[in-house]
Amino acid sequence: MLIQILFYGFSLVLVAAALGVIAARNPVHSVLSLVLCFVTSAAIWLLFEAEFLAVVLVLVYVGAVMVLFLFVVMMLNVDFEQLRGGFTRYAWLGWITAAVVIVEIVGVVTAKRLGVDVSRGAAPLPADYSNTEALGHVLYTEYVYAFELAGMLLLVAIVAAITLTMRRRVGLKVQNVSRQVSVKPGDRVRLVKMPAEKRQ
Amino acid sequence: MITLGHMLTLSGVLFALAVAGIFINRKNVILLLMCIELLLLAANFNFIAFSRYLGDLDGQVFVFFVLTVAAAEAAIGLAILVVLFRQRGSINVEDLNEMKG
Amino acid sequence: MQPTFTWSGVAPALPEIYLAAAICVLLMVEVFFGERRRGLTGTLTLLAIAGGAALTLACAQVDARVTLFSGMYVADPLGTVLKLFAFLFLALALLYSRAYLEQRDILRGEFYVLALSALLGVFVLVSANSLLSVYIGVELLALSVYAMVAFDRTSGVAAESAMKYFVLGAIASGTLIYGMSMVYGLSGTLRLDDLAARLTEAPSLGLVLGLVFIVVAVGFKFGAVPFHMWLPDVYHGAPTAVTLFIATVPKIAYFALAFRLLAYGLGGLTGSWTQMLAVLAVLSLVVGTVIALAQTNIKRLLAYSAVANVGFLLLGFVAGTPTGYGAALYYMLAYVIVTLAGFGVVVVASRRGFEADELEHYKGFHARDPMLALSMMVVMFSTAGVPPFIGFWAKLRIIEALWETGHLWLVIIAAAASVVGLFYYLRVVKLMYFDAVPAGLPATEKRTGVRFALGLNALAVLALGVVPNPLLELCERLLG
Repeated sequence: MLIQILFYGFSLVLVAAALGVIAARNPVHSVLSLVLCFVTSAAIWLLFEAEFLAVVLVLVYVGAVMVLFLFVVMMLNVDFEQLRGGFTRYAWLGWITAAVVIVEIVGVVTAKRLGVDVSRGAAPLPADYSNTEALGHVLYTEYVYAFELAGMLLLVAIVAAITLTMRRRVGLKVQNVSRQVSVKPGDRVRLVKMPAEKRQ
Repeated sequence: MITLGHMLTLSGVLFALAVAGIFINRKNVILLLMCIELLLLAANFNFIAFSRYLGDLDGQVFVFFVLTVAAAEAAIGLAILVVLFRQRGSINVEDLNEMKG
Repeated sequence: MQPTFTWSGVAPALPEIYLAAAICVLLMVEVFFGERRRGLTGTLTLLAIAGGAALTLACAQVDARVTLFSGMYVADPLGTVLKLFAFLFLALALLYSRAYLEQRDILRGEFYVLALSALLGVFVLVSANSLLSVYIGVELLALSVYAMVAFDRTSGVAAESAMKYFVLGAIASGTLIYGMSMVYGLSGTLRLDDLAARLTEAPSLGLVLGLVFIVVAVGFKFGAVPFHMWLPDVYHGAPTAVTLFIATVPKIAYFALAFRLLAYGLGGLTGSWTQMLAVLAVLSLVVGTVIALAQTNIKRLLAYSAVANVGFLLLGFVAGTPTGYGAALYYMLAYVIVTLAGFGVVVVASRRGFEADELEHYKGFHARDPMLALSMMVVMFSTAGVPPFIGFWAKLRIIEALWETGHLWLVIIAAAASVVGLFYYLRVVKLMYFDAVPAGLPATEKRTGVRFALGLNALAVLALGVVPNPLLELCERLLG
């Protein structure tokens, strides 16, 4: 019973936060709503005994990806006033699409012909079951191929992000330590001998 | 008891909101990127629910990889956004109209 | 039971392992020597491709089907052949585009690294035997390609088209995994061979819903109408060297995506997805052909031509038989060979500060550069489906496959679209041979190596059309 109440509570917060993401005029508010979405999602995943993924969602998503979003929003310094023009002429299309998709999916889920019994609960897990351990067992054995490829994917992301955004600024003054250390007095001061000028 | 139907409905609502957000936000590219994150979250809900009710770990492993890929995707998307902003000084979707035909 | 690693357990995946290692090595080479020697990474990449092709040939699966990595990976003759073609097409694309990159000061090693990682994505898709490998392959390819489109940071148009491509592509991969989650939940497996074995009876409503999402994503990747919005803008906005790449090599991956995922894994639902694909195919044929008539930019013209060609290719899948898949494979290979030559001419005709991308620039092309004009004419004839070029046989095979399965209406639409398409392809030929040269156009690229390769490519379009049987039989045998 408690679990059920928690589920409904978190679901409400989640849907409200998702609405906030798409309806907020200020992108900073949208990002913060999305953070709320992820945190409540992590809570719901915990109810489903997917602990490892819940933790990863908070660490990776809230901790890294959303911070990146926030960083870009701040860095670009977009004129929000100018973007605050309200919904455009496509807004009605969006809401209609949303309504249709919700009706379709809910219809499919509640229909008898979905192909799976949706009214059942999950089988309880044994008391000494560890979600993290179970995932760890398969990740480096059965899924090693996908794991290595995910590594390549992250490498591609690094290469792409650096290539696209790194700028070599012209006229930037940098220190060259080895030249500084190996400098000789003669490189810095030149003593010039010249005959004294006659007084005029 | 939370049933499979509860989870699927919740994920369906999230998916629909994400799609609506993509249609509604014709102004700001960053909001589009965030709607895409919501879309992926909805799919993740499905995977976790099915994985739990089937008693099969594969779905959770899939979510693990979706999270990894989505992080990489967000990084590249934001990098392109930064390039675009440096070129145009704007991230308004309606300004993306230099090509016609 | 703990799985253990043995040499025989990973040996068939050697092409992928080699490619991943080559990417890392080239990245290091670029870091340490890239500044001093600009073209070094490009040259090494071509060598790496040659080595990879030799390796793929050496560990080819002659007629066995082996699954590795707990069933995530499959090695079979189709995979080997597709990988060899992917190596060949990438090598040609990189060869043609080198001078172009040099003249725009974007000849950097990262370009080659990204091209190779895209190739790795193609390989993963070609050898995918699990929904998870399909997803990772799609993303590996897509992420590399997004970055390549935006590669020229001084071009506002390129950044704009990269942004459009990224947003639409990301939505497509979102729908792809939503569909995959439904399929997984209702079948209980991620493996494509298990899916093929389990989904045999009439599909439930949930499966059809998942299938719709997957077909939408496949349509997006192919650029089929109504999911084609990104394609003309990306072809137009990307640097031509990148357009040359994305118009060719990824098509292999998308064929593999459709074949492995729909035709093989979801083969039990053939009746459902062929109907959906038929709608996409007909729309693509009609819209692609009609809009191409109004284009004045050759990159956009070829883009809409690509949309129409995707329609043809999907018709092969609509047939839903091994003959149809064989015809689609042949169509895809023919299309890529022809497109390589087509965009190859556009790349070679461009110079520093000048994009030869308006149709205007091709007026009297014959007088300026007879060899390139001849190549372009071969491309146009072949795409139009005029015998004896390769494009004719490709179209004929598709129509035959549809005829055999009794899709009379589709045959009529395909034939009609081909006839209308004839008009704009011939218009380009007329421009090149009968119009006067406008003043002030720079000379074309004169490097003999590139021109020789391009000439061979155009010759192949003719030769494979005169002697179509070897390639046709190969395609039939692979999918028979």
